[in-house]
Amino acid sequence: MRVSLKWLSELVDIDVDVSTLCDRLDMTGTKVEAVHMTGATLDGVVVGQVLTKDPHPEADKLSCCTVDVGEAEALSIVCGATNFKAGDKVPVATVGATLPNGMTIKKAKLRGQVSMGMMCSSTELAVGGDASGLLILPEDAPIGVAYGTYAGLSDTVLELEVTPNRPDCLSMVGVAREVGAVMGSPFKTPASLPEEAGAPAAGAVTVRVDNPDLCPRYTARVMRGVKVGPSPDWLVQRITAAGARPINNVVDVTNYILFELGQPLHAFDLDKIAASGGKAEIIVRTAIEGEELKTLDGQVRRLAADTLVIADTRGPVALAGVMGGEDSEVSDQTVDVLLESACFDTSTTSRTSRRLGLISEASLRFERGVDPELAARASDRAAQLLAEVSGGTVAPGIVDVYPAAPEPCVLRLRGERLRAIIGAPITDDEAASILVSLGLTLEPAEDGFDVTVPTFRPDLVREIDLIEEVVRVWGMERVPSTFPGGRERVGALTAGQQRDLSIGVALRAAGLNEHIGYAFADPRDMERLGWELGPDEVPVELINPMSEEQAVMRWTLAAGLLRAVSYNQRRGAGDVHIYELGNVFVTAPGRKQPKQRLMVGGVLAGAWERPSWDQDARPLDFFDGKGAVETLLTELGVDRVKFRTSERAWLQAGRSADVIVRGDVVGWIGEVAPQVLDAYGATGPVTMFELGVAPLGKAGTRTRAYSEVPRYPSVNLDIALVVDEEVTSEQLVHAMTSAGGKLLDGIRLFDVYRDPQDAPAGERRLPEGKKSLAFSLSYRSNEQTLSDEVVRPVHEKLLAKVCRATGAEVRG
Amino acid sequence: MSIAEELSALRDEALDAVVSATDLDSLEAVRIAYLGKKGSLTAVLRGLGSLSAEERPAAGKLSNEVRIALEEALTQKRSRLESEALASRISAQAVDVTLPGRQRMPGKRHVIHQVVDEIVQTFVGLGYEIGEGPEVELDYYNFTALNHPADHPARALQDTFYVRDLSGDRAVVEGESDVLLRTHTSPVQVHTMETKKPPIYVLAPGKVYRRDVADPSHLPQFTQIEGLVVDEGITFGDLKGTLEHFVKRMFGDVSRVRLRPHFFPFTEPSAEVDISCGICGGEGCRSCGGEGWLEILGCGMVDPNVFRHVGIDPERYSGFAFGMGAERIAALKYGIPDLRLFIEGDMRFLRQF
Repeated sequence: MRVSLKWLSELVDIDVDVSTLCDRLDMTGTKVEAVHMTGATLDGVVVGQVLTKDPHPEADKLSCCTVDVGEAEALSIVCGATNFKAGDKVPVATVGATLPNGMTIKKAKLRGQVSMGMMCSSTELAVGGDASGLLILPEDAPIGVAYGTYAGLSDTVLELEVTPNRPDCLSMVGVAREVGAVMGSPFKTPASLPEEAGAPAAGAVTVRVDNPDLCPRYTARVMRGVKVGPSPDWLVQRITAAGARPINNVVDVTNYILFELGQPLHAFDLDKIAASGGKAEIIVRTAIEGEELKTLDGQVRRLAADTLVIADTRGPVALAGVMGGEDSEVSDQTVDVLLESACFDTSTTSRTSRRLGLISEASLRFERGVDPELAARASDRAAQLLAEVSGGTVAPGIVDVYPAAPEPCVLRLRGERLRAIIGAPITDDEAASILVSLGLTLEPAEDGFDVTVPTFRPDLVREIDLIEEVVRVWGMERVPSTFPGGRERVGALTAGQQRDLSIGVALRAAGLNEHIGYAFADPRDMERLGWELGPDEVPVELINPMSEEQAVMRWTLAAGLLRAVSYNQRRGAGDVHIYELGNVFVTAPGRKQPKQRLMVGGVLAGAWERPSWDQDARPLDFFDGKGAVETLLTELGVDRVKFRTSERAWLQAGRSADVIVRGDVVGWIGEVAPQVLDAYGATGPVTMFELGVAPLGKAGTRTRAYSEVPRYPSVNLDIALVVDEEVTSEQLVHAMTSAGGKLLDGIRLFDVYRDPQDAPAGERRLPEGKKSLAFSLSYRSNEQTLSDEVVRPVHEKLLAKVCRATGAEVRG
Repeated sequence: MSIAEELSALRDEALDAVVSATDLDSLEAVRIAYLGKKGSLTAVLRGLGSLSAEERPAAGKLSNEVRIALEEALTQKRSRLESEALASRISAQAVDVTLPGRQRMPGKRHVIHQVVDEIVQTFVGLGYEIGEGPEVELDYYNFTALNHPADHPARALQDTFYVRDLSGDRAVVEGESDVLLRTHTSPVQVHTMETKKPPIYVLAPGKVYRRDVADPSHLPQFTQIEGLVVDEGITFGDLKGTLEHFVKRMFGDVSRVRLRPHFFPFTEPSAEVDISCGICGGEGCRSCGGEGWLEILGCGMVDPNVFRHVGIDPERYSGFAFGMGAERIAALKYGIPDLRLFIEGDMRFLRQF
């Protein structure tokens, strides 16, 4: 809402400076979003006097003038207007001035004649609507004085943020009332009764309201003999300050009343409304599905069945509360005007305005609520103004369809309740005087007041609403700051919340950085990854996505992580190690709310660090990812973990595994398959993993049992076992563990050897299809230092058993 | 040559040899040459037995003095050579200490979650628990139970993401769906009050979604932190005191706080909270748009209509709620100019904080 302070100060006394006023408005709930100084845009426009006026030697329509602007030398100016003579005083835009329309005045040559400025019309200065010629100033206008100063144009316009509960503040009168209340100054409501003459309006118009619930009140007035033309300057300046464009005197007056009182009005050309029996017939009804209306903006609108329209017997002539129709628009030929001042339902207006994408000053007000009591008063004032500026006469009476005036709303405000909710010593008297200043009426009651709410405050319907009014005017800054005193509270995180934090701690310790990605996914990710959801599961589809790439909710973290890798690689940041902890979603036919699962995923590409002065950058691979997962599982206290070779479409076969905890698959890890890397524009190797958080939480334990710290040294023996390619490290470790007895304390794999593929036969150290795994075994006792004699037989027995179980041979 | 002369000559010769030894090996050779089993001084000492009883004491005394002198010289020289050797070894091992160290960089917590963690800590310290709720919500929890009228503009398709409802239910608002991506963390208020009896002290961080095109100051997905307190005797002053404490913890003691009356459907009275601009200290600058204040959160007393939806008696209990955007707070705190950085996953951004 744009508020001209010049206008406002006619309605309420403002005896403080602008910044104090703004602070006070801010602190009472009407935020001042911006302060504009107007009139300043007329810098460089001064009052001048035409000294000579001669015809242009080469152009019939131009004249060459000399103009005194108070400088030592008169300016030569070439001018196209004809409505002036030597001796006239006019506004002159000098070289360098910028006009409100954005035009900057430069020294120019017009058909060979130098022009050092421009004499202006009222339209060019945006101070009036007359574009037909120069703005001729009174004879006493002082030459050389800035035109803005002379004309008293400078104004301050406040841009107020009006919250949706305050429709009353969408008018100058409402803002004046609010300012009066918060500044403690008196304000006045402009009202006027028009002088009526001629045949009564009731003889010229009938109104029928078919849906009184959607249109609680409809009034119509008739003006005869209107002369449509430009508005006087004061009217143009007012509505321009409020943000409207001047159109003609009739439309401008309706806009003026909209801004002044908050009542949207519509003026119809009475002759364009179909009449029967000499009476124009206004029908307020819902549209018939498929009906059409060409609105004022020239567009043909197809109407839905619940759209409220103003119609005549032929069809719709306006969208109720939103926009008028082009056919019944007031034009230069209009003589008689039908003035509508009505009240329309909030939901209906907002639905229509939303559906048609039409937001107007009128719809903005109706969708928040317009006071039905205001309609007739606004019609009176508009009629009187219209008579003043258009020379028309006001037909006697208002046709007013108002079946049910609202019952006055009476609320009890309890003083104790007020103080209990706010926690401040606001007295009953203070509360009462605040409410009275806001225009409410009070009766004392046993525990406070009975408060009657005026119809312009539809937001006040409960005691708490009154409490809010009191505290915002009394001053939130005066409320003492305290802490809640509740005794029964304990602040803590749940085990699950602690677990989620631990997951991050472990992965960061493992070198991964946390990422927060979009929860949206591209439906085509399904195909790119080769993903298959569970039986009956489908992705969660958005009805109104921002784009095709974000049309569903992610069902895996994988696609987002790959996009992050590609994003980094394209920007030359190829060392990517990130993890994300976030929800994924799937749904199923017949299901309302989707399933939400918390997952943790990670991705590794490039190296941990760039090569440095003494270290190479080792490319990250499967085992770096696996190490991160192992770090995580250890931190969560998850044991009995197995990695089982698996085939998943988005992972490279042979370099991917399922992560199995106590027999259940809890996730996967692997290097991303080449065709998937291509689909996401990423360069491999890229290792990725994803695990379900809930199963990890279930399997993990936060308690750790103590095991004795070794007191005696261990005996370490190294062995190299030659086995078939198919035998896994896990099988060997398993065989050793079960054969080792209680002295075996630790097994560490320290080498895996295969003959190079291209090694010549003479240099092959292993039989075909074999590999060698070297382990360091440590034996230890908690009772004594072990001797070789004790360990040897145990070790030999272990070797024999392992070889039998796995077909291994001990490498010499 | 008398034995005395012989010893004296031998001493001079040996001491010279000690002086001319240049390293520990040659010094050891000197020791062996004079004091070793076959050494020349040893030979003299052995020869003492063949002397007469008159000569023996004096010769014995003298030879002992020569031995002691030689041993002392050897010890001194050895210690000097040893420290020289150590010094040269140390100097050979000197490094350029300005070469970079070998770091093992741990990963970083996302800056948004650092902010969330800090806020969580503050409120857990005040006795709050952490509440949770689904990101794909029902209209009832996101709007209806929070006192939003059926035609509230936030419910429009251009503001809220709606999700295809596969249950076959007819939507309350035609053309839309009753399933949506939550537009704020406030539905957690309703879930909490449905499942817990007062006293309730809950903080709920989480992802929220709004139909905004990603640009420097908007994201379609961001992080909110919701707070809810419901207890007997909770006042607007308690809300104010709590938020002032939070702001000082988050932005430092110099920040000033103001509550500006505002409107939210689910709180009444409602306010927006501004903090003094950290850049200009409240004087007004470009960052704060000349106002000197930066808006950081919305808050208010729980609206009685919300209590009624969850069956809490508003005459017995009162409460307050607040909500803030973590992205905005992080941007203010760290001077981050473009919110999209938070969600792009650029390693060079992630590793900064």
